[in-house]
Amino acid sequence: MKYKAFLTCLIMIFFVEISVLFFYANYGGDFYQDAVEVNEAVQSVRDDWENIGAHQNVTSLDYSILDSWGNVIFRTGQGLSESLNEAVVHRDTILDIEINGEVLGKIIIYNDSPQTLWDGRKKSAAVLVFAAALQLICFAVYSVYLYRRVVKPFGKLEDFAERVAGGNLDIPLEMDRGNIFGAFTESFDIMRSELKKARLAEARANTEKKELIAKLSHDIRTPVASIKAASEVGAAIAENEKSRRNYTHIIRKSDQINTLVTNLFSATLEELKQLTVEPTDMKSGEISEMLLGADYFHYAEIPAVPDCMLFADKLRLQQVFDNIFANSYKYANTEIDIKISLKNNFLQIIIEDFGGGVPEKELPLLKEKFKRGENAENVEGAGLGLYISDCFMTEMKGSLDVENGTHGLAVTVNIKLSGAK
Amino acid sequence: MKNTLIKTERLSKSFSSGGAMQHVLKNIDLELYKGDFTVIMGASGAGKSTLLYALSGMDTPTLGKITFGERVISDLDSDGLALFRKEHCGFVFQQIYLIDTMSILDNVLAAGLLVNKDKKALAARARELFKAVDIPEETIHKFPTQISGGEAQRAGIVRALINSPEILFADEPTGALNSKSGLDVLDTLTEFNEQGQSVVMVTHDMRSARRGNRILYIKDGVVMGECDLGKYAPNDEERHKKLSDFLTKMGW
Amino acid sequence: MFNRNILLARANVRKAKGQTAAIVVLVLLSSMMMNIWLMLSMDYRKNFDRCHDRLNDGHVNLAAYVVGDDFKDFISDTLDERDDVTDYTVSSAFCAPFSYEYNGGELSQLGVILKKEDALFRNVGRFEITEESDIKSGIYLPMLYGMGNNYAAGDTLKITILGEEFEYAICGFFNSAMVGSHNCNMMSFLMTEDKFEEFSEETAALKSAYVSVRIKDVSRCEDISAELKDTISKEFPEVVVTGNDYKMVSTSRYISQMICAGILSVMAFLVLLIGVVVISSNIANYIQENMQNLGALKAVGYTGGQLIAALIMQFSGISAIAAAAGIAVSYCVFPGVNEMMIAQTGIPYTVRLQPLPIVFTVIFITGVVSAAVYFSAKRIKKIEPITAMRQGIATHNFKKNHVQLEKTSLPLNAALAMKTMFGGLKQNVTVCVTMLVISLILVFSVTSARNTIVDIKPMIEMIAGEFADSAINVNLGREDELVSVLEEDSRVEKFYLFTNNSMEIQHVGGTTLYVSVVDDCSKMNNQSMAVEGRYPKYGNEFALAAKYAKENGIKIGDEVSLKVGNSQEKYIVSGFTQCSNSLGKDCIMIREGYEKLSALLNVTYYIDLAEGTDIDGFNSDISDIFGSDVNAAQNVLSIIESTGGVYVMLMTFLVIAIVIISCIVIIFVMYLLVRTMLNNKKRDYGILKALGFTTGQLIMQTAMSFMPSIIISSAVGIAVSMRILNPLMAVFLSGIGVVKGTFIIPAELCVIAGIALVIFAFGAACLMSLRIRKIAPRELLSGE
Repeated sequence: MKYKAFLTCLIMIFFVEISVLFFYANYGGDFYQDAVEVNEAVQSVRDDWENIGAHQNVTSLDYSILDSWGNVIFRTGQGLSESLNEAVVHRDTILDIEINGEVLGKIIIYNDSPQTLWDGRKKSAAVLVFAAALQLICFAVYSVYLYRRVVKPFGKLEDFAERVAGGNLDIPLEMDRGNIFGAFTESFDIMRSELKKARLAEARANTEKKELIAKLSHDIRTPVASIKAASEVGAAIAENEKSRRNYTHIIRKSDQINTLVTNLFSATLEELKQLTVEPTDMKSGEISEMLLGADYFHYAEIPAVPDCMLFADKLRLQQVFDNIFANSYKYANTEIDIKISLKNNFLQIIIEDFGGGVPEKELPLLKEKFKRGENAENVEGAGLGLYISDCFMTEMKGSLDVENGTHGLAVTVNIKLSGAK
Repeated sequence: MKNTLIKTERLSKSFSSGGAMQHVLKNIDLELYKGDFTVIMGASGAGKSTLLYALSGMDTPTLGKITFGERVISDLDSDGLALFRKEHCGFVFQQIYLIDTMSILDNVLAAGLLVNKDKKALAARARELFKAVDIPEETIHKFPTQISGGEAQRAGIVRALINSPEILFADEPTGALNSKSGLDVLDTLTEFNEQGQSVVMVTHDMRSARRGNRILYIKDGVVMGECDLGKYAPNDEERHKKLSDFLTKMGW
Repeated sequence: MFNRNILLARANVRKAKGQTAAIVVLVLLSSMMMNIWLMLSMDYRKNFDRCHDRLNDGHVNLAAYVVGDDFKDFISDTLDERDDVTDYTVSSAFCAPFSYEYNGGELSQLGVILKKEDALFRNVGRFEITEESDIKSGIYLPMLYGMGNNYAAGDTLKITILGEEFEYAICGFFNSAMVGSHNCNMMSFLMTEDKFEEFSEETAALKSAYVSVRIKDVSRCEDISAELKDTISKEFPEVVVTGNDYKMVSTSRYISQMICAGILSVMAFLVLLIGVVVISSNIANYIQENMQNLGALKAVGYTGGQLIAALIMQFSGISAIAAAAGIAVSYCVFPGVNEMMIAQTGIPYTVRLQPLPIVFTVIFITGVVSAAVYFSAKRIKKIEPITAMRQGIATHNFKKNHVQLEKTSLPLNAALAMKTMFGGLKQNVTVCVTMLVISLILVFSVTSARNTIVDIKPMIEMIAGEFADSAINVNLGREDELVSVLEEDSRVEKFYLFTNNSMEIQHVGGTTLYVSVVDDCSKMNNQSMAVEGRYPKYGNEFALAAKYAKENGIKIGDEVSLKVGNSQEKYIVSGFTQCSNSLGKDCIMIREGYEKLSALLNVTYYIDLAEGTDIDGFNSDISDIFGSDVNAAQNVLSIIESTGGVYVMLMTFLVIAIVIISCIVIIFVMYLLVRTMLNNKKRDYGILKALGFTTGQLIMQTAMSFMPSIIISSAVGIAVSMRILNPLMAVFLSGIGVVKGTFIIPAELCVIAGIALVIFAFGAACLMSLRIRKIAPRELLSGE
């Protein structure tokens, strides 16, 4: 890529040089006489004719003025043609000074083209020298570039090839995509690393196979051990040789099957049993939402909940709260006071109404009563009794306590902090 | 009595991934002490790196409070945390995370110049640290892709220590290295710890864990247990046995 | 295959919504301007032809300051004889210089007054009434004057004709193709019959004939005009003939359209250029980012061509849609542009759907975008699937360590910004191109504002020629008296002869030129009018309009034959002038030179007055002294203001539009660049954040990394633009005779604007970098 850029660069420089030279050759300068300047000279001389001694040259031209007898009456400098013949030889411009149709004298305007030509040659030489120098610099830069990008990297490649041949695959080939061999060296290095990878992969595959075999043999070892034990006992008490052999065989097989089945299904059975309550981690912040949702009469002011992570089943916890509030609405129908605090490894929520509570002896029955399902009134509503709420809390590793508070019935819900032992 | 450096109260961290909340850390109450080489262990996914990042102010906790020295860092905003980190914490990452477009030295100086404006003193300290971790002068002018992983990680340690942080956090520093380079890196960490540098390292590799004097075991976002190895000499067989007993007890 | 490509393209678009939006905006702007430009240049001017044909207007119009029926017979005979004339109409009229108020200044213009009843039924050169009221006696004005806050039907027009003031009720407005505006070299009013008769009794204005001629070959209109004038002046040497022709009018009535179209075309191409640069850098980036995906696709069996085709389809599809939207926007904007144009052209134009510009715009833009995509995506062909999948983004990094932190004296954030800058060459290229273009646009706006909106004189100098405070024309006999009065008046600072009341001179072998006669060119206020060579100094020299000279191959120093009536002389061309008054057909002579050919009938003196002098008061003082020998006393400044008003409005609109477009372009380009950068360096930003860099510091770093290229390219762009703006203006305005721009380039203002540009770009970069806030060091977490 860089190589291309370099080539483009060279070609461009070439074209620039060519076009510079072309323009130089074709638009090298104007060798024509400036008619306006000449006119200005003639006209100013004409205006000053009466007092030619005071005449001032207002142009950039050099000229001399002859009167009608051929005498020089004015000159702008030395070395100018001073007679018509000289002027003709020097290819000067000769014009008449004419006033009112009468020719009074002549003006000879100096021809400076030889000088211009000479200057032009010098300029040509300079341009050529510059072009040559530019070429030289390009060539020099290119040579250095070639050495650094081609000759040197090639040397490196040689070392590398030797190492790979010798089986040393660890040392990478230092590469530079910029150089001409970039892609080439890169594929060499890819080859090296692919070789290395293949070797490593082979080694790993071997180890893995060995591990698998080890594991399997461990699993097999256990039934083999029981086969051994059972067959020893069976063999000891058997009456004849044939039954002894069969007995041993049956016990061995049933043991083995039993173990396998137990292993296979124990996990699934466990899962099936525990579908009811599934506590997960939740943020304590969600508690206020839940309380707000349960307290649809807005009897309670919900205090700030301390930040912590709780271990609970959201759905079930909401049902617990719903139940507590529904009961309070039904039996007390007063304002409700809620206190939330952290106690050891629990978040304690005390929900107390102002209904004066229940008789002391009924207190222990509250949670039981519903177990029997005698009070149909209480079962409706939330559809769940305090007993089930208690169960839920226990499942969540928390607890639910009912007691008489200072103003009324106080239900304490303890939710376990997640992570706590 | 050890001086407490970092204290957490009910530190919790949750992420939401695809709509579902994932609670990675749960109500962690923890104290880290000055001068300790604390190692946080646990199975992958247990929350050890999350804990490290929360402790170090790299990330804000979802719930809970973190006090660093006298300062509560759990309620700083991201810029406040950045200003806090550059002065008090050093980091070593598993993926090393040197910036590829800068030389090794510049990687270190970029971190150092944030705090210390005295370029000369800083360069001198950088060279001293490079010497301490066995990185020769010519290597420090190379780019991260031009040096080996071990060297890069040791440079990472230099970067972490350039501002003399109160504590150095290392997140699986040997995770991306081969065992030889890993050992070098661990030796370096141990050396600095012996000179009084507090270090907190996350790892799931027992050999690395042995370097610590206090091992915390994290499981499911909770500190399950800890083990004090401080009283054993580094090469004592007892040290290894105690650690391996501890880990077995934790269900490693 | 087609479907698969669409899938790929859609996936790409969805991934880069922001980039797509930015490209859409750039293409939309470009296509909007391109479509307006094409509508203006392809159809707008044809509207003149339509109007011209509908009114069957003449290709050559003459107004002769005469006279009897013998002239009418003569002109009829002459035109009947010519076989290149198809039809003509001769009407009686009055012809004189009028002056009246317009756009808050006074306008002075040679015009003809026709009888309304005649004018509406002329065979050639018909007039049409566009608005009429129930006033039955009064004057009708060209519809141009009914626009803006100028005149409405029922108002009174105060008009000064040859020193006498008249007042007429305005009955309504008319439209005429050839004499319907003061831009036509000759304009007209229509009077109801009663007023016309009344006027003919009261006025000193000469009765004249207004001739409209239709010819076979329109391209010869100038020659035929010259020939006719020549014929008339041979037969009636005392008759002064003035007139206009199709080419002149069709050009001069559409100057603002030309300027507007020119600017819009340049803007359209520049914005498209930025769009193309942005697309290429986008693609380069896309390839780098998706190296592994591209490799995978190739491995699956896509060919490089298919992948490129998908990209082309994606970008050209977006561009086509954006171009269509841009065209829709252009149709919403066009009525506004149209109204502004009409204020200058004075010819009503109905906006209608033009399919050709739409097709061209869509095809051109889609084509350019496709080509740009193809060339920047060609690299995909070279991707080797295995290498790409293996390496992804360049892993081998052997770059030089720019800006070593240990050695640099830059502050940390600046040093890191420099590192970023050296790392992203492509972004620098995009920034440079954008800023170069924007700074050119900016210099143009600032210069335009300086030269038209702030002070219109430079604009007038460039396109209208000589100006002074007052211009007084007296008959030749009282010239000496006027000179002595002016010499003694303390209010006069400077005065000089500058007679240019439509005096014509014939270039032998060429056309008619308008000549200005000056006594001493060095006294002229507008020295920049001589764009090459110098003004004439001697009696055998003259300065010629540059445009005419170039067209006819005349060089400075050449000898040219000129004639007036029957006398002919040779003159040396001493220099070239530019001036659009006669659309580049004029020349300047000194008095001595002109008098070789013909005597002056009257002389105009241009007068500069002391600061704060009441020009109108001065003019009326002089008029009082010389009475009816004063043919005209003009308040030139006021004329400049009134004619310049339209240009000021146009330029104000353009400058505002340009500035808004530039801001949009900068914001979107910055958005693209920053977005790309954040995508590429997300990991690095994460690391830096982890180390303790604040969001603010990183935003500064990002914005600063663009600054060197922004500053350098803006500086270079402004410096270069300041140099190339005048030549560029000359190219734009070449149609009206301008060959060299002579706008004053306000260097300080440009520098200030440049600084504002840099600050704006910096602000835009900062704003776009705000996204850095979202990058969290947490993303560096090891494995969890």
